[in-house]
Order: sequence, then structure tokens, then C-alpha cells
Amino acid sequence: MKQRQSVEKILVPFKSVPDPNDNAVAGATASTPKSVINPFDEIAIEEALRIRERGEATEIVGVTVGAPAVDEQARAALAMGVDRAIRIDDSRALDPYAVARILRTLIEKEAPHVVIMGKQAVDDDSNQVGQMLAGLLGWPQATFVSKIEFLDNKTRAQCTRETDDGLEVIAIELPAIITTDLRLNEPRYVSLPGLIKAHRKPIEILTCEQLGVTVRPLTTILFASRPPKRAAGTRVDSVEELIAKLRQEAKVL
Amino acid sequence: MDFAWSDQQRELLDAVGRFASQQLNYNVIENDRDSVFNHDAWKKCGGFGIQGLPVPAEYGGLGMDPLTTVAALERLGYACKDNGLLFSINAHMWTAIIPVLYNGSEMQKKKYLPGLCNGTLIGGNAMSEPNSGSDAFSLATTAIKKGSNYVLNGSKIFVTNGPVADVLVVFATLDKARGPYGICAFLVEKDSPGLNVARKLEKMGVRTSPMAEVFFEDCEVPEENFLGKEGAGSFMFTNSMTWERGCILASAVGSMQRLLETSIRYAKERRQFGQSIGKFQRVADKIVDMKLRVESARHMLYHCAWLRGQRKQVYVEAAMAKLHISDCWVKCCEDAIQIRGGYGYMTEYEVERELRDAIGSKLYSGTSEIQRSLIASLLGL
Repeated sequence: MKQRQSVEKILVPFKSVPDPNDNAVAGATASTPKSVINPFDEIAIEEALRIRERGEATEIVGVTVGAPAVDEQARAALAMGVDRAIRIDDSRALDPYAVARILRTLIEKEAPHVVIMGKQAVDDDSNQVGQMLAGLLGWPQATFVSKIEFLDNKTRAQCTRETDDGLEVIAIELPAIITTDLRLNEPRYVSLPGLIKAHRKPIEILTCEQLGVTVRPLTTILFASRPPKRAAGTRVDSVEELIAKLRQEAKVL
Repeated sequence: MDFAWSDQQRELLDAVGRFASQQLNYNVIENDRDSVFNHDAWKKCGGFGIQGLPVPAEYGGLGMDPLTTVAALERLGYACKDNGLLFSINAHMWTAIIPVLYNGSEMQKKKYLPGLCNGTLIGGNAMSEPNSGSDAFSLATTAIKKGSNYVLNGSKIFVTNGPVADVLVVFATLDKARGPYGICAFLVEKDSPGLNVARKLEKMGVRTSPMAEVFFEDCEVPEENFLGKEGAGSFMFTNSMTWERGCILASAVGSMQRLLETSIRYAKERRQFGQSIGKFQRVADKIVDMKLRVESARHMLYHCAWLRGQRKQVYVEAAMAKLHISDCWVKCCEDAIQIRGGYGYMTEYEVERELRDAIGSKLYSGTSEIQRSLIASLLGL
């Protein structure tokens, strides 16, 4: 196992996704959906900030893969408190394996103490990058994590995982990949002083070529369609009819 | 003339909108009903950077120019539905922060501004008295020098933030015979002996902004809390009022924009006689009027702020903006209710509250009549 470095770095990969709450913004008129940091990744950033605030890390590096427009989300990460951001410039629709391979090369270069990222992105719900990344790096992983504590002079992390059967507490050797669940924390909002400071922080732009990694998506999206519209309801004339319908058609009684 | 925001301004405005819509809109109906000040939302606004928008960074603010400041407050008014909270913030910014920033000693600025900016301190202003409202400089509260203290006696009314304020900017006269030149100002902290924050005043609108009557009974204020130069109190008040008139209704412009958008949506969705009510010209006309009002109000707001940013005098522009925006706001609220019919009159639709909140804008910071007389006199009449 590698010796711990004096600089304790947390690397947080994040993805830019269409804002899932876009319509909630004060009933604004229709406009193109805004992009935001994937909410699970925002939780990962928040956790990294809290770890740094309690003195258990010294640097937080945010990493994203995407087109120049994604710099806006990189700026948002910097405004939350991330120290520096890296964008791998790639406008293609990459699949999880391609993203995991890009991240692996970058992680080998950056050598972070721990990688924290969202368990999945809310746009495609793949839930694969973290696991693939751990596999590619040969690192331990803790997925769906709702609590992180460092043990043994920060050589191990104790993680509480949310599973279908309940909570599972595991200890993993560091460096490791940790993916975050919803209940880990509530991310802070970007403040105006944070936003102003973010303009003085660097966003480094790298290409796959510079990293020496060639990727191509192994999956292609053939087509996408909207979910069917909800059918109109029916009127019933009596309680008897309602019960009959609930029994025979809805089969809920 | 450049009407475009820079990328940085746009980013800042978007951040304000996101913050406000996500963090400030809870319990608004209940808090209005029960006259509850949302202190938690106040602190959030401070942490986010609202109160410190126009204050230089060295005193804990963001050092934004006046135009960016009013645009940010406009966006705040668009996304935050708690007009009372915004009224409290505005009173705090224009009548507590501005006098300290412009007239405070270095020590006073260092002591109060960072807290006033970051949300830990709440400021208020005590000018109006039971017998001195529009005729503000006829105030009767007295200050007498006694050793290294000043002793204040008198009573003040309509003190916004009074019940929750940590520090009040209090105007009093050192020599009534000298009229406006006898007026001076003090920073009075909440625990000062002889300061009595009396009954909380119930009111028609902006009910989530607490207001009180305040009494001074031999209230001793240390010399170092004397604000500005002796005899400069009336100038200080005018400066603070000019800032307030030019900026306080920025959030009203945002509120009007929101009312416009929600009214358009309602008029398109609500069907009567087999068609959307927006197809009826009498409804469409109201919406067109709302659109005209919000656009003209916004231009007056921006123009005044832009002039201030150019270090020009804005007495007329600020008075005109205040007069026009308040008038537009009330009318927009009335139209928004009328378009919704009986629903608009219902509390849960949240437009009747908007009307109650808007009406005060024709009274505070100088009534509409006072703005008119000010404009007339500045036009040489």
C-alpha cells in the first residue's frame, strides 16, 4: 500500500445534468432547462467540504467531463468551496465505462487520498461509474454511503451503506472510491462571496489526448421517448361501483 | 446605452434566484397571518450575501455597484414571496447600513458593518415620531450632552425591525432652535439603559416585518456612538432616504414580474365560456397593462441606480422611481386579483397578501404625496 502523502486530497468527480427542479423556480415561463451539478454529486462535494472543514483534508479537486458549457457547473463547484476544478473537454455522449476510464487516468495523475462521488446521475440513472472506477483502479469501494468517518490515522474509512436490508457499516482501506446516497448530508447553497471567490480559482481544461487515454462509448442510445401521458380518470356513480372497480380493474382491494 | 448584463452579473442574479426560491419561501402564509419574523431566513440572506451587497469588501460586504445591487434585489423579490422579510432587509440596508457606511467613524464601521452584512446583526432606524412624519425634521426627541455620554429623551414610532434590532440609528435634536441643523444621529444598542422597545405594531401588510414603537427615557448613549458630524443629521437622513427611495422597491419590480408571469399562466389555463380567459380582451388588457408597468418600473429603477453608479445626483430620479414603482405595484396586485376572480381573494392563492404588502410602498420612505412635492420642488415649482 502507498504511503500517505502530507497533502490530503479529496477528488470529487461531478456531472452536469438538466435541473430536475427547473419548473419549481417561482413559476417562471417556459425556457430552456438549466443545467446543474448532479444532486448526488453535490452531496459528494458537500461531504468533501465538511471533511476539509473538520481538518481531515487539505485540498478538494473537482473533476468533470464535458463541453465548455459545463464550466458553469465547474464554477458552481468552486463557489461551493472546491479548491480547483478540472474539466476534461469532451463533447461526445460518453457512456459510464468511457467516463470511468477517463477518470482513472486523471486519478492516477492526481493521486487523491479518497474519491467521493454521487452514486448515480439523475439524468441517466446508470449507477456504474463509481463501481467501474474502483474496478479499473483496483481500489476498494463503498457505495450508497450515508455516513463517512476516517479511522486509524486516516488509513481507513468507516462507511455506513444504505442497503435494502438496512444499514451496513463497513471499513475500507484508503485510497478508495466512495459513492454517496441522499441522506449523507444536505448540500450548502452557493453564496455570493463564494461565487466571487470562484472567479479567482482555476478551471484546468484537459483533453483525453493530453491524458493519453482513448475512449469511445461502448453503448449507443438508439432512441429516447417520453413516458406516456397519464390517461384521464373515470367517474363512478356510486360507492358500490367504486369498490367493484377498485377490486376488479385496479386490483388494489 | 448597454442593457446587457455581463456573464458575471447574470451568474450572480441566477444564484440569487436559486437561493431565494429554495431557501426563503416556507411558512409565508402562516407567518403573515401570525405576524412572525423569519429570523432564520434573515440569517440565511446574510450568509448568502444579500445585506452586504453594496458594502465594500473591507467591511464584510460584496462591494457591488448600485445597478448590480438593485438587479440582485429585484431577482430576490421575484423569487422570494416573503415581502415582509424583504422590507426588513431593505430598511436595514438603506437606513442602518448606509448611514454607518457613509457617516460612521472607522471604528464604528469596523464594529458594526461586518455583523450588519453577514446576518448576525439586525439594524433599524428611528426617525418618525407620533407628531413628526412627513415633516420629519420637526422631530422632538432630544439629546443632551452629559459628561462623555449623550442622554436621549422622546418617542419614536413605526420603527421597522424595532422588536428584533440589535442596533438602531436614532435621530434626535441637540438644539430644537436650530431646526434641521440641530438634528444628529446615534447608534443605540438594544440593551442600552433607558431604551424601551414597546408594543409591537400590528399592520395591514408586510406583516412578517416586525415594527415597534420605541421610547427613550434618559437613555444614555456613549460618545463614541455619536454618528457623523454635529449638525449633519438632516443631511445624513436625506442621503439615507435617497438611497432607500431608489432601491427599496427593486424587490417590488421582481414581485410585479412574478405576478405578471403567474397571471399569464392563470389566464391561459383558466377556461370560461369555452375558451381561455386570456382570449377575452378585458383580461388581456389587464395583462398588457401589467407588462407595461413592470417594464417602465424596471427602467426607472435601473436608470436611477445607473446614475448613482456614475456618481450623479439622483434626488429626482429616486423620488420618481419610488412614486412610480409603488403605484405600479399596487395596480399590478389589484389586476392580478381581478384576473383570478374569487380565487385571487383567497389567502391560499397568495395574491391578496401581495396587495396588502404593496400598499405600504405608497407610505413608507415618504408618501406618494411627499415624493410628488419633492419632484415638483426640484422642478423649480
